[in-house]
Amino acid sequence: MSGMIFFEIAKRNIRIHMLRSSLAMLGIIIGVVAIASMGILGNSMVLAVSDSLRTVGDSVIVTPHVGGTNHGFGGGTGGSSSLSISEQDYQQIQRVSAPNVAIPVLQTSDRMKLGVGTDDIVAPIYGLNPDDVPDLLKLKEGGYSRGNSGCLVGSKFADDHKIKVGTRIAIGTDGTKGTLRVTGIIEERGMAFDVSTDSAIVVTKDWFDTAYNRSDYDKVVIKVKNLDDLPTVKTAIEKQMNRRDTTVDVMDTRKTMDTIFAAFGQITTFVTAIGGISMIVAGVSILNIMMMSVTERIKEIGIMRSIGAQKQEVMWMFLYEALILGIAGSLIGGVLSLLGGYAISSMMLQTTKYLFVPSSLINIVYGVSFGIVVCLVCGIYPAWRAANLNPIDALRHE
Amino acid sequence: MVPLPQKEEVTLPMDEQAVMSFRDVVKVYPLPAGDVTALDGVTFRVDRGEFISIMGPSGSGKSTLLNLMGCLDTPTSGDIFISGTRIGDMTDAELTSLRRDRIGFIFQYFNLFPLLNTLENVTFPMLLKSGKTVDEKKARDVLRAVQLEEELYTHTPMELSGGQQQRVSVARALINDPDILLCDEPTGNLDSKTGAGIMDLMTELNRNGTTIIMVTHDPNIAKYSNRTIRIADGRIVE
Repeated sequence: MSGMIFFEIAKRNIRIHMLRSSLAMLGIIIGVVAIASMGILGNSMVLAVSDSLRTVGDSVIVTPHVGGTNHGFGGGTGGSSSLSISEQDYQQIQRVSAPNVAIPVLQTSDRMKLGVGTDDIVAPIYGLNPDDVPDLLKLKEGGYSRGNSGCLVGSKFADDHKIKVGTRIAIGTDGTKGTLRVTGIIEERGMAFDVSTDSAIVVTKDWFDTAYNRSDYDKVVIKVKNLDDLPTVKTAIEKQMNRRDTTVDVMDTRKTMDTIFAAFGQITTFVTAIGGISMIVAGVSILNIMMMSVTERIKEIGIMRSIGAQKQEVMWMFLYEALILGIAGSLIGGVLSLLGGYAISSMMLQTTKYLFVPSSLINIVYGVSFGIVVCLVCGIYPAWRAANLNPIDALRHE
Repeated sequence: MVPLPQKEEVTLPMDEQAVMSFRDVVKVYPLPAGDVTALDGVTFRVDRGEFISIMGPSGSGKSTLLNLMGCLDTPTSGDIFISGTRIGDMTDAELTSLRRDRIGFIFQYFNLFPLLNTLENVTFPMLLKSGKTVDEKKARDVLRAVQLEEELYTHTPMELSGGQQQRVSVARALINDPDILLCDEPTGNLDSKTGAGIMDLMTELNRNGTTIIMVTHDPNIAKYSNRTIRIADGRIVE
């Protein structure tokens, strides 16, 4: 209860020095906003990237080994541009990956025309076995093409070129490779390690073989049903294919994603630490005004001590003052962080859906807690100094 | 709350009636230029109900004596007893509790807390002592006893005259029923008429049983007391 009167005195002291207190609080507000907003932004970016990559987090990608000589693929021609995976090697990969689905992928890019009088455009073309397509791609419109005269297009490609189901696309310069009818539009997949179809078209493997005279594959994508098997599948393929020489590179997409997220985590930590520096600066200003407060009230401290206030009671009076500034500043900062996070997310990520999730909101809790702790820590020395003033000297102070 | 120490309590037969006693008290301040003896073997006793004034020129040791009487300092040698308790070996917390519970301070410059109103200033020592709720009725009774008008109870010290502030200061000093009221030039900052009013109040309190020790350099004020202790060069001379 005696603490209440010291709390009341601390409160009133802040009130009569409102300008000074507000400026100190402003520092804390800025510090909390900096920490929390940076944390929210970093987390939102991780979530956004995670969303973009989540469709490819269950794959093992096998590509011809780049670098060194090639003994196993592409007829031993050497050089990365001619590298490919033969049907025989694909069979081996398929066998060691079973029961998971191994999808061979052909890939090139070519000119194409979308109608009479339109300019040629260049886009990536993927060749996939029609049976494998449903395992790899989901459609947002239309259906999978079974025959060789149909193709699928990515959603961004469709939006950019106003393509609908039924649109015809002439492939090759002046349509030399043939004309395909769009049977379906693929759902947006974002960045992908396997096939990036958003701005591409997908044709059947047979059509691709005929048009580009290719039978070897550019990569093999293994869709792993149980994510815990990813390392096992990767190791099995490496063991099988790289027995003598390194002939294939095998990428575990989840591990790659983990590396990416770790890098994002480090960036988030770094920018949050920069926010932390502003909080330290704010803490110094709290220390400064608390020292001023002690110096101004030396006589008052002397009176309190002479009429029976214990050292710890005087100490608490100043700690209350630091705490009030810290709690008020941090809470205001917390609210502004939410608004700041909303604004930053809207501007930089074009969405606020990652803001109101626990992993983002926890950054506000961290920021507010850090603000309060910094204020309390910065209040300890002035409070200790006040409590340990000699009552006789303090009473004499003018 | 720090309880009053019991283990150090020493009561001597000759001091049974003494509310305060000094026995051969020496206070030396060690300074770089050499030790300064502020009090040199001071012995006196104050009995319950006395009104004593302490007089002496500047540098005579009055302030040192006041600090020792107020338990703000401890002697270099000799014994000081407050209500039978020897203060020489007390810790800071114990001395603070002794000041809070047994001594009431009245200062020359009133020394009220500017952030608290009249009633809060008076109840402040009560809160320090009880650590719980304050007896506001008692505070109002004491304020009435020092003849302060009720409408001033919610005023801050800045809104009070010097005389009113000193009355609040007296009420604050009395609120914990101290054994001794220790006054440092209580009228030093007041005009003569207001000062006389405060001294009449002191006399009235003493008549009602309060022990008062007053440090002053004004012989007219000292006349209000029953006994005067004169001090010079750190020794009692009369």
